Amino acid sequence: MTEHWERCIRLKEPLKTKPFLIFAGLAGLGLLLGLYREVTGLGYVTGLNDGYSWGLFKNWNVTALTALGSGGYAVAVLAWIFNEKRFHPIMRTAVLTSLVGYGTGMLALGFDVGRPWNFVWLADPRTWNHYSVLWEVAVCMTAYFMLALDVENMPPFLEKLYRSDDPAKKEKALKIFRFMQKTFPFGIALAFVLPSMHQSSLGSLMYLAGTRVHPLWQTALLPLLYLLMAYILGFACVLLVLALSSYAWDLGWDADILGRLAQVMSWMSLVWIGIRIGDLVNRGVVGMAFAFDKFSLYFLLETALVLLPALMLLSRSQREAPGSLFRLTFLTAMGGLFYRFTPTTLAFSPLGDYRYFPSVAEIFMSIGFTALAVAVFLFAVKTFAILPASQGKIAAEEAMRPFDTL
Amino acid sequence: MPSEAIQTTDPTTFRNGVDRRTFLKVVAQAAAAIGLSGTVAAKMIAAVEKGARPSVIWLHFQECTGCTESLLRTSHPGLAEVLFDLISLDYHETLMAAAGHQAEEALEVAIKKNAGKYILVVEGAVPTKENGIYMQIASKTGVDMLKHVAKSAGAVVAIGSCASWGGIPSADPNPTGASGINQILPDKVIVTLPGCPANPYILLGTLLQYVALGKLPELDELGRPKFAYGRTIHEHCPRRAHFDGGRFAEEFGDEGHRLGYCLYKLGCKGPSTHASCSVLHFCEVVDAWPIGLGHPCFGCTEQSVAFRVPMLKPAEIVRPTPPATYAPVTPPQGFVSPIATGIGGLIGGAIIGAGWMAAKKIAQKEETAPATPEKKSDNSGTSSKE
Amino acid sequence: MDVNRRDVLKALMGGSAVAAVATAGLPVAKAGKPESFAVEPDALGLMYDATKCIGCRACMPACQNANGLKPDTGGSGGLYMQPDSLNANTKNLITLYTAADGHERSFMKKQCMHCVDPACVSGCPMEALHKEPHGVVGWNPTLCIGCRYCQVACPFNVPKFEWDKVNPKIVKCELCRHIVGTSATEPACTKVCPTHAVIYGKRTDLLAEAHRRIKEKPGFYFEDRVYGETEAGGTQCLVLSHVDYTNLGLPKLGKESAPAQERRVNDFVYRGFLTPVVVYGGIVAIVRNRWKDHLKHGDKPGSGEAHEEEKRA
Repeated sequence: MTEHWERCIRLKEPLKTKPFLIFAGLAGLGLLLGLYREVTGLGYVTGLNDGYSWGLFKNWNVTALTALGSGGYAVAVLAWIFNEKRFHPIMRTAVLTSLVGYGTGMLALGFDVGRPWNFVWLADPRTWNHYSVLWEVAVCMTAYFMLALDVENMPPFLEKLYRSDDPAKKEKALKIFRFMQKTFPFGIALAFVLPSMHQSSLGSLMYLAGTRVHPLWQTALLPLLYLLMAYILGFACVLLVLALSSYAWDLGWDADILGRLAQVMSWMSLVWIGIRIGDLVNRGVVGMAFAFDKFSLYFLLETALVLLPALMLLSRSQREAPGSLFRLTFLTAMGGLFYRFTPTTLAFSPLGDYRYFPSVAEIFMSIGFTALAVAVFLFAVKTFAILPASQGKIAAEEAMRPFDTL
Repeated sequence: MPSEAIQTTDPTTFRNGVDRRTFLKVVAQAAAAIGLSGTVAAKMIAAVEKGARPSVIWLHFQECTGCTESLLRTSHPGLAEVLFDLISLDYHETLMAAAGHQAEEALEVAIKKNAGKYILVVEGAVPTKENGIYMQIASKTGVDMLKHVAKSAGAVVAIGSCASWGGIPSADPNPTGASGINQILPDKVIVTLPGCPANPYILLGTLLQYVALGKLPELDELGRPKFAYGRTIHEHCPRRAHFDGGRFAEEFGDEGHRLGYCLYKLGCKGPSTHASCSVLHFCEVVDAWPIGLGHPCFGCTEQSVAFRVPMLKPAEIVRPTPPATYAPVTPPQGFVSPIATGIGGLIGGAIIGAGWMAAKKIAQKEETAPATPEKKSDNSGTSSKE
Repeated sequence: MDVNRRDVLKALMGGSAVAAVATAGLPVAKAGKPESFAVEPDALGLMYDATKCIGCRACMPACQNANGLKPDTGGSGGLYMQPDSLNANTKNLITLYTAADGHERSFMKKQCMHCVDPACVSGCPMEALHKEPHGVVGWNPTLCIGCRYCQVACPFNVPKFEWDKVNPKIVKCELCRHIVGTSATEPACTKVCPTHAVIYGKRTDLLAEAHRRIKEKPGFYFEDRVYGETEAGGTQCLVLSHVDYTNLGLPKLGKESAPAQERRVNDFVYRGFLTPVVVYGGIVAIVRNRWKDHLKHGDKPGSGEAHEEEKRA
């Protein structure tokens, strides 16, 4: 019952379906609220305060969701570095999830910073603080989003350009493609180094907060744990997106690709758990995990959510059944997101009696940014050839395409 | 007669008769001046009308008679009302006409007549060194006199800092062993009204309340009526705003001093002095109290301060008051909207529910449907028909 | 996996070549400037002796005036100038600690501690928060992007943000650096303090004075130590009190500052930005190989045959 995904296809479905309209509507609401925030101030829209000055936008949309958007990076490592060629057909989906995932993060960041106009100074190296992890995150993330991810997402766009009737456009597409063919390795290498740097640096961000983060999470290994979790969540996101797309648009089920992804994900989860526990033991705080206060419960929950699916996914039968594969991946994603979110918010205690819960507007903005990512994804898969499909479903005129190599 | 420029004494003092209207006014004023309510004033009036004026015996020891002098300068009520209508001053060495044996006799008569009921007011510290020989009246030492009169007194009041805890005579090196009367009468409940001088209204209020209600006012652990000594000068100081605002007179006569800034830096003892001067000035003259006149409070009511701590040394703040207005070290901050938490919970639940449902549906679809390409719906396809 | 010897060698060579260029071009990147993390010999600061403070709050309006801040009406139920914590209108605050039994009390002056190695400066991506001469931690409005990382990083919870502004600022004590040396000789708070509970001077002098006071009254100050001598790598504002410093909202901090720890981790990983450059070079080399291979099979990437080969390999 498995098929082999071999090529990428464009969905024939009309753009304005009900799900798309819902997501687009939520995105519009979020952006409207964002506009309101721009003319009033953060305090009017968010529940942020001087104790919890980072909230849903940075801690959820940026720190947690960009990990989910690491699919392009994680799968590319398998496809290009470890040369697992079977993953090439899903690369376009993976890099698209990365693009929209990082896009929503960047957007949230844009609305979250108080003085965004001063970003222009990023152009002046004299103002850079090389010691700042946040500087590194800002520069690497921007560069990754603006350069690497765009290059990676170029081929479907060029393809579309090439198929237009205008010969000038065709020529242009080919020209760009030829240039890309020469420079592609440099671009893709950038797409490895930059996410490695900023996904780990997102962990270092909290390392600077020192004693304000609960000892169960605060460790010098935060960068490593965050980076590994980015891989795990990247795999999980690509898996979930492919499984849902396959269900929604009858793409079939490539058990080989999806099973392998799940397998790698479960190995990485186990490595992650191992490092996590080893670090706790090494620092002698493992007792705190069983104090059964709220921090201990957060820890046990996230560990269980990562560990149990990882163990179950070791079994071939679990990986081959689409239902359990999806369910276990979903649980892993929940646990991983929870882990990425916790040190920044739940296990973060500023000096004093501060409370934070996002305001209604803040929640809807955050949802709006996420919905925008989904809407853009839906638009893209219906406009460009992105989702994978088996050989049998590819029309003859599409079989020979100059950009298929990407 | 008082001068025309500064009229410190009410003209009624010099009248002989008092009409009822004036009388009622006087009693109400006396009650109000000491912070008692109108109902207490009514009771006082009733008590005084019945002729139950308290009998008062007033003894002088080592002192300057300043407390008496300030009592003489009250005008609301004036001295005449006090003497003739409110109290029955049966023995007072300064104010009575009698002298010598006559005076001694008057004292004995007063003690016998009102035994167990009269109020003994003591002004001045009692010398205790060398068996009290440093002060003798009619061959009796102060200690003996005090013990004799206090024996059958209904209530004992120590007026002024000298009688309360020793006052000036007890300042180092205290050659006469001057001490407050609580040292001599350890078993008696003594109402102590420290001050140099004590504010006469505090005495009047205490006396009148004793007459009207039959009991002494509520006292603190040092025997001071709480209505007058329950707060520090600092708490009601008219210059407090300057203290809070950080505007201080740096030296006498400088600009800040002339502008009426806080006198803390000049050694004002207001923050550690329990007294009511800041709300109850002396003898109805506006600002007739040290700080009102531009001089730092010197803590005359406080045993540990007055005549012991140098005049210009800044005081200790005994009670940072009122503490509630200082920010706590960790104030509660932030706002959690119940609507937002509800929405957050709903969304979390929705995501988990959706994930679960999706898994179920995917299982149904992919695990049952044969994976032949022909069976796929038309929804997926190619872009060939573009 | 078919990374061969040639790939690796090429990767290393390419990497080191790029690294050489990069390190020449970016001499300051991830290295240098170590001198800014030691205590400057002429570092200026404050010393606050809680046992001398009388809670008059003279320093608060003085600070307000000196810094052009609006009177605070936000805290304690809207009372005038009764803020309950540092905020965008309050750079300096007198708080009162009262023990549960109500007897032990101590005032505490809250303000920027001007750390020797400040987490806010280390974290600020744009050098908006920076060390001024004499170690004063200053804020530069033209560079700040309002990311509020300083608020997350500061162990003392000092920097505050104008939440209700479209053009929000980070507000914190800058030791009156805009008036000291020109129109004033010392910060506003130390100038008005009636009891000299807070004094201004060189950190070395202040430390000597603190130790003198401790020596004068052994057992009087908490643990006979001055807060800020070693905490978080040392702070330029020092605190003396007779109550436990944690009760005054001063956290227990180690001798090594969080930024120093982080630099240790980062330097270990990044090696003066050498690591990313080498890794980049290596990956370029590997991917170029893969790419050439990929272009050869241009028409059939990831075909069924390829899968079979992979499995057998």
